[in-house]
Amino acid sequence: MTSFVTATLIGVSLGAQYALLALGFTLIFGILGVVNFAHGGFYVLGGYAAYWFVSAAGLPYPLAVVLATLVTGILGYLFELLLIERLVDDHLATLMLTLGLYLMLSTGILITFGPESPLFEFPLNGTLRAGPFYFPIANLVVLAVCLLAILGVYALIFRTDLGRALRALADDRQVAAAQGLRPRLLFPLAFALACGLAGMTGALVTPILSLAPHVGDPVLATSFLIVILGGLGSIGGATVAAFLVGLVEAYSSVYLGGSKGALALFVLVLIILVVRPSGLFGRIAREA
Amino acid sequence: MTDTPGLEVDRVVKRFGGLQVFHDVSFSLRPGEVLGVIGPNGAGKTTLINVLCGRFPPSAGSVSLDGKSITGLPTHRLARMGLVRSFQQTNTFKSASVRENLSRALRFSGAPMRVVERVDALLRQFDLHPRLDEPSDKLPYGLQKMLGLLLAYATGPKVLLLDEPAAGLERRERTLIDAFVAAARADHGCSVLIVEHDMDLIRRLCPRILVLDAGHLIAEGPPAEVLARRDVIEAYMGLSDEDEAA
Repeated sequence: MTSFVTATLIGVSLGAQYALLALGFTLIFGILGVVNFAHGGFYVLGGYAAYWFVSAAGLPYPLAVVLATLVTGILGYLFELLLIERLVDDHLATLMLTLGLYLMLSTGILITFGPESPLFEFPLNGTLRAGPFYFPIANLVVLAVCLLAILGVYALIFRTDLGRALRALADDRQVAAAQGLRPRLLFPLAFALACGLAGMTGALVTPILSLAPHVGDPVLATSFLIVILGGLGSIGGATVAAFLVGLVEAYSSVYLGGSKGALALFVLVLIILVVRPSGLFGRIAREA
Repeated sequence: MTDTPGLEVDRVVKRFGGLQVFHDVSFSLRPGEVLGVIGPNGAGKTTLINVLCGRFPPSAGSVSLDGKSITGLPTHRLARMGLVRSFQQTNTFKSASVRENLSRALRFSGAPMRVVERVDALLRQFDLHPRLDEPSDKLPYGLQKMLGLLLAYATGPKVLLLDEPAAGLERRERTLIDAFVAAARADHGCSVLIVEHDMDLIRRLCPRILVLDAGHLIAEGPPAEVLARRDVIEAYMGLSDEDEAA
């Protein structure tokens, strides 16, 4: 029972982190039709930016997380405005651009900070005890912040005029423009939001997991898997799939062990995609 | 209707690389007027709408609205200036409900309350009211087309460009287009340009029509007069062997 509760907590915590990452990934695909291969790069950049703000600038960690979110968001905004914007309907070109940006980000970080993992620790240590259960405080704090951020994203997308405009663009760009919406104004904002979410997740999670130039690779793979599982472009689908993947990872690693655990996840994904090829909440096909 | 031209199209040309879709097309659309554009498939009618609404810039020529040049302006700017189009296919926000579709159109265009009230009346007239909470892509085809027209109406247009509004509709549904055009003119005082193959609808709604054939404007005038012209009939039907021999 203790291990089940612990695994559940870890799974929910992982799911919340994955959800933040996947929401950004699916927003960019849904609104721009771009598969952002640089998403993992923004996660790493967020981690290193927070590390730099804490270790070199001496700022408190919460402020460093906010600044890392802003830095990655602004960089995402500029990247979309200056490069993606011109080629937004060319899928191969945007794929190459985002892949190139990822390589530039990870190589730049490698050159600047070196290949070793820096010492970057979460400022709160210790565990919270509730009966026979022990919960690491850092995980609880990250979970709470991630859940708040997810709620914030949902409020933005489903309760504001900006969110309504973004959803309209995701539904049909031509119809939205015919009603007066300016896609080229909203695309960079969507990209900035998504990259900011990736950067914030990196700033929150890397002090608990690990920080190194290559940690964006599995992040990209997991985000991609979650978004496909949830249904490309589906915000609700990405959220549900993220928590599903987090829980499956946690349970399988506790009850099956490392490699079998990873296998269990991919078997689950395979079964779901055989039954529902467009993902849990995906539409049959996305119009270009 | 006034004598001041609302939309003026002057010697507009559209080319895609070496392919010239239409050449030196000129006409005007006065405020409140309903103008039909007909022509065989491939004549360049939909491309004309795409150029007028800003989807494609013209290769040459100019377009003005109320005396101001709008040549080459993008779709969203033209929509905000009151030049709004509908689409040949059912173009609604597919994953959104009928209510959300209309809510978006009303909000994005900042429509006044009177438009909201009129939209509500038109929803009832077009039998869309009981389906307000259904996803738009689950509606029957005819209702999707009417919803697409209502989205254009809800923006409060000065000029409406309707691209084959009757295409795919059953005969009994086509009278709804008449009601829609009447409502748009009465409520917004807008002019309407209709690209259409349904000649009955064109005769009913358009006091004046243009005929495009292979990218050239070959005729202009009242439907009864234009549709009786030999060159217009030939554009649609082709030449007979005897005519070609002669």
